[in-house]
Amino acid sequence: MERAITITPLGGKPARRPQGKLGDTVANGRLRMLVASLAIAVAFMAVAGQLVRLALSSQFQVTSSLNATIAESFARPDIVDRNGRLLATDVEAQSLFADPTRVIDRDEVVEKLASIFPDLNQVELRKSLSSPHRRFVWIRRGLSPKTAQRIHNLGLPGLAFRRELRRAYPGGALAGHVLGHVNVDNKGVAGFERYLDEVVGVEAVYGATLAERAPARLSLDIGVQHAVEEELATAINRFRARGAAGIVLDIDTGEVLASASLPDVDPARPIMSLDPARIDKVANSTFELGSVFKMVTVAMALDNAVVSLDTMVDVREPLTAGRFTIRDLHPADRPLSVADIFIRSSNVGAGVLALEAGPQRSREFLERLRLLDPIKTEIGPIAAPQVPDQWQESEIITTSYGHGIAVAPLQFAAAAATLLNGGHRVIPTFVKRQPDAERDMVPLIKPATSDDIRRIMRRNVTDPKGTGKRANVAGYPVGGKTGTAEIPGAGGYKKDAVISSFLAAFPMNKPKYLVYVLLFEPKGTGDSGGEVFAGRNAAPTAGRIIRRIGPLLGLLPTSEAAAAQSNRVFDATRLAKYEAR
Amino acid sequence: MRLYIFAALAIALTSAFALYGINYDTRQLERRVQAKERAIKIARRDIAVLKAERAHLGRPERIEPLARAQGLRPATERQLFAGPAEAMANVFSETAQRIARASRGE
Repeated sequence: MERAITITPLGGKPARRPQGKLGDTVANGRLRMLVASLAIAVAFMAVAGQLVRLALSSQFQVTSSLNATIAESFARPDIVDRNGRLLATDVEAQSLFADPTRVIDRDEVVEKLASIFPDLNQVELRKSLSSPHRRFVWIRRGLSPKTAQRIHNLGLPGLAFRRELRRAYPGGALAGHVLGHVNVDNKGVAGFERYLDEVVGVEAVYGATLAERAPARLSLDIGVQHAVEEELATAINRFRARGAAGIVLDIDTGEVLASASLPDVDPARPIMSLDPARIDKVANSTFELGSVFKMVTVAMALDNAVVSLDTMVDVREPLTAGRFTIRDLHPADRPLSVADIFIRSSNVGAGVLALEAGPQRSREFLERLRLLDPIKTEIGPIAAPQVPDQWQESEIITTSYGHGIAVAPLQFAAAAATLLNGGHRVIPTFVKRQPDAERDMVPLIKPATSDDIRRIMRRNVTDPKGTGKRANVAGYPVGGKTGTAEIPGAGGYKKDAVISSFLAAFPMNKPKYLVYVLLFEPKGTGDSGGEVFAGRNAAPTAGRIIRRIGPLLGLLPTSEAAAAQSNRVFDATRLAKYEAR
Repeated sequence: MRLYIFAALAIALTSAFALYGINYDTRQLERRVQAKERAIKIARRDIAVLKAERAHLGRPERIEPLARAQGLRPATERQLFAGPAEAMANVFSETAQRIARASRGE
């Protein structure tokens, strides 16, 4: 075997490289080594590059691409009341679907599912499962864990579950009209839920990813809301009414603390809202509200300096306007002061005041209080007012006592709040206002007019002849105005069908809250002395509500009001600690 | 040259092992992250359900009868007194009436 030997002579130059055949062999060997090394290096680099690529690549992209074509849902923020108590939240739920290509026995699947879902459309499902081109058929969404387990136990091939978000309403039907509802994709379609989609924002998600947004805080207080709903339900039973509605409003900020309309709706069962009897009577309906409108008429006459509270008005004769003759239920046999017109709820007196002010000032005052234009809140547009086409004498007379003009109770409550809060504009809202938030104080009427309205409203409750005397609550200075409005029907007003209402405020020394109660078509019962007038049914209902919600709102019964009730003598200066907190 | 080749091979092999090691660790970490994420998701789901259940159990419709059964009522004007003197007078008055009733054998 040949070996290349290099001999280095002592003290001399290195020996020359071998030449010829031996030299070529060595050169070729080096070249091969170099090529092999390069090949190994390239191979390792390829392996290393692949490793780095795999390590850096995200697996979530794969997941997304699988889900993208299947289902998109909406993660919604929670809804809480003004004190942080939960009203609506998202929870995960199983949704059932089928892959028709994997279903072995269609008839078995349909029959067994029908035993769990009695309302299942079997014909439609059988048709869907027969389709050769479909790989995905929704069967039922938003199942309870128990139902999902029952289906799972059937062991039917071709059926599978997908986790989705469903809206849960832990309070049941509480504040159902305000909350609204969502559709099957968890998208808000009515009420405050819709506002969440349009203004607050919801997140489009795949599967069941909960929202990370902060909860939306309503102005409602669910304790107050519950008290109002319960008292209205009691009133419906006591007075055999067809329905009822109630509002509690902060008259300074316009925050709605309670808004109830009975019969109610369950937000978890949106189909209930299709029932005309369950329409939201607070915001989505307009009514001729009757004599509560006299608040506006008297305020208009006072604010325009047409009269003062002591001005005497002759109300002994009926008032004629066109083909209408306006009479009082209990005609006075003497002229009445403006305050007495209010307290005795004289239609003739209200008509005279409107005539004295004239059509222009009457209409302008209603416009100023935003009673003629549509308004909007966070739960949607309020039903637009129905107003006379022209403002002649007959229109301003009927309008003066709340007929011939129909407005939503919430819109009227906001206008009434302006009359009570010193005269600044009130915009009703269902979102909690921050205590330190700056408010736009737009004066609409004179503070003196507001003072006068407060005074006569309080008198209407304390005066033995006041129509609102049954709204008196021991310990709370309550003021209010009754309204008993006939309901229009075919060919005129219905006989013995009325909307009786009571608009109250408390505490009247410095009103903070407005309570508006409406009873629809109450009957004369033993509890109402056989009468349907608001003073007999709506007024005591408002009183019961105030008695319950006062402490919830941090207003303790005051000793002054208690003293007025019991004729006991109290030292007001020593009782400051019992005053409203 | 040989030294260079051996060194290159050694570096390549070491790099490969290091890369495999890093890749393995990354996979392990990813698995742990995914497990944590799954646990967080399950915990959040459970919290949402518990929150809803707590709200359901604490709804006024349920709490109010329980409170009434405990004898709790909204504050009324009868709980008000003008001050300590009147409060004491009321207490004495009630005590006196009770003593009187007791002396009458009622």
